[in-house]
Amino acid sequence: MRTLTEIWKRYKLGPLVLILLVLFLFLLPLPRWLAPERKLVSNSLLFSLTQLFMLVTLASDWNMTGGFTGYIDFGHAVFFGIGAYGAGVMMAKAGWPFVPALIVGAVAAAIFAVLIGSATLRLKGPYFSIAMLGTFVAMREIVRVLRPITGGGSGLTLPPYLNRPLFYYVTLILAVLVVAFVWWLRRTQFGATLVAIREDEVGAEMRGINTTLHKITIFWIAAFFTGIVGALWAYQNTFIDPDVVFFESRTIELVMMTMLGGLGTVAGPVIGVTVIYWLRDILWSNFLQFHLLVEGVLLIVIVLFFPEGIMGLLNDPSATSLGRLWGRYLGEGPKDAYQSTETETSV
Amino acid sequence: MDQLSQAAINGVMLGGFYAVMVLGFSIIWGVMGVINLAHGEFVMVGAYITWLLSKQLGWEPFATVIVVFPVMFAVGYALQHGLINRVIDRPYLISLLVTYGLSIIIANATKIIFTATPRTVDTAFSGFWRVGDVTVPITKTIVLIAALIIMSGLHLFLQYTRLGKSIRAAAQNREAARIVGIEIKYVYAITFAICIALTAVAGTLVAPTQPIYPFMGPPLTLKAFAITAMAGLGSIPGALMGGIVLGLVEVLIATFVPGVGTNLGIVSSFVILVVVLVTRPQGLFGGLKPAGAH
Repeated sequence: MRTLTEIWKRYKLGPLVLILLVLFLFLLPLPRWLAPERKLVSNSLLFSLTQLFMLVTLASDWNMTGGFTGYIDFGHAVFFGIGAYGAGVMMAKAGWPFVPALIVGAVAAAIFAVLIGSATLRLKGPYFSIAMLGTFVAMREIVRVLRPITGGGSGLTLPPYLNRPLFYYVTLILAVLVVAFVWWLRRTQFGATLVAIREDEVGAEMRGINTTLHKITIFWIAAFFTGIVGALWAYQNTFIDPDVVFFESRTIELVMMTMLGGLGTVAGPVIGVTVIYWLRDILWSNFLQFHLLVEGVLLIVIVLFFPEGIMGLLNDPSATSLGRLWGRYLGEGPKDAYQSTETETSV
Repeated sequence: MDQLSQAAINGVMLGGFYAVMVLGFSIIWGVMGVINLAHGEFVMVGAYITWLLSKQLGWEPFATVIVVFPVMFAVGYALQHGLINRVIDRPYLISLLVTYGLSIIIANATKIIFTATPRTVDTAFSGFWRVGDVTVPITKTIVLIAALIIMSGLHLFLQYTRLGKSIRAAAQNREAARIVGIEIKYVYAITFAICIALTAVAGTLVAPTQPIYPFMGPPLTLKAFAITAMAGLGSIPGALMGGIVLGLVEVLIATFVPGVGTNLGIVSSFVILVVVLVTRPQGLFGGLKPAGAH
């Protein structure tokens, strides 16, 4: 038991990790309650939890480049699309089974990340963001034009496979794996280097860090996991076309979720995704017509008034925009204006 | 050869529209450092106002400029005061996300009000010039001439009027401008209002030449970004050259590469963007400030 306490202390396993662990153990046996004689969990709940786990994985992937390295990627969903199409083409056109097709999709996403990243990751700030947004939109058009391979605008139909519990387990394990990976990464030299690049790239370069190599490495790792999710999503959805896969707000919702949870924190994406997913469920069931409109408003509100996210609020409430507003309300006088979106990293 | 000169003419005409469309984006970025991701949506709104006036009241589409400009001027002024002012001094992620949220709101509100059906605007000037074997639509000629007039007008405004000079001063050095008595907030609001109004006028100009629909904005925003990055922030000659280059590339690809149509326009603008950014990050034409400072 002594070693366990040591690990606890050494790695600062905060209560949040514990909560996540408990949540994981609770979620693990969920499908078994599905058995017809005990009507505890409905099939649709299992489906929406699967979607939730996929989003957690995607947001954590985005957080690797956007949160830790500080390169705000506005086109991360391009890797999702490549994963989906990589797997989809192999299954629908070449008749491969799912697992090798998934590997093809994920590897294709990683290779594309290395290629596009070695050009775009040299750009700074908004130039990188918009270049990636351009990549995303351009890839949609390329997929549409490559009709013989991708089926063009009419899309591809994959062999259906309706095993909800299996998708549930796979996505749950993938989400936990990726969150654990990010948590471990943050504690390695490599992770510290990424944060150094975010805080002061020129300084990091002067210390002899090959920043481009580090950025490309984390970029393809994130793209690889994103590609896996894309392939899983394609197989679960059994139909892919350019508009469904390369959906406009697919990336920005990841940014919004991660920001609500806390940029550059391990638990941030998990919390943010869960909150927004739950909110969106309410929106969809109440205002189907207006849900995108409301999401736009939500995005602006979160970004303007809550850029430090829930993790920022937990770490140091007085340093957040909301905290300052509250302080001013209590009459402590106006403090210094806005400083930085990046909060100190912790779990 | 005829095909080539036809494509070249079409490319230049398209470039004229791009140039006038990009001005607002470029000046807002150059003066306040805000990258307006809702830019294409304002083009779309201008086009929809034109469509509404010409369908409901039977106005000549090009004449709707006299309504579009003041209405969108007011909208721009109000937006700057209420929203954009809050993001100017904050990290670029904040302004990108806020303007992206704005674009989602505008596009979806338009879809709810007018449905997603593509609309066309009819004009009295639908005919062709013939020069040799090359045919030139009269509407597109009007667009090009209007673009040139707008750009020269804007150039004269920025260069010689008092307000134009204070806009340039605010772009070059905000603190110094404030010291010599320029009301920065007012200048920013007026700049934003003018830029949004010009952008909506670009929408009016494009409405008679192509179908309009609620989600036409994002590709236009990306093209505006590509042209601005290529041309330098706030540079009017740069916007013209960049617009024409992009227009030519798009039309030439659509004409000479079989089976792709116009869809690859966005791909070509993106390739130009990345190549220019990697090789010449300060832009090709100078401008208000070096492109490295966001």
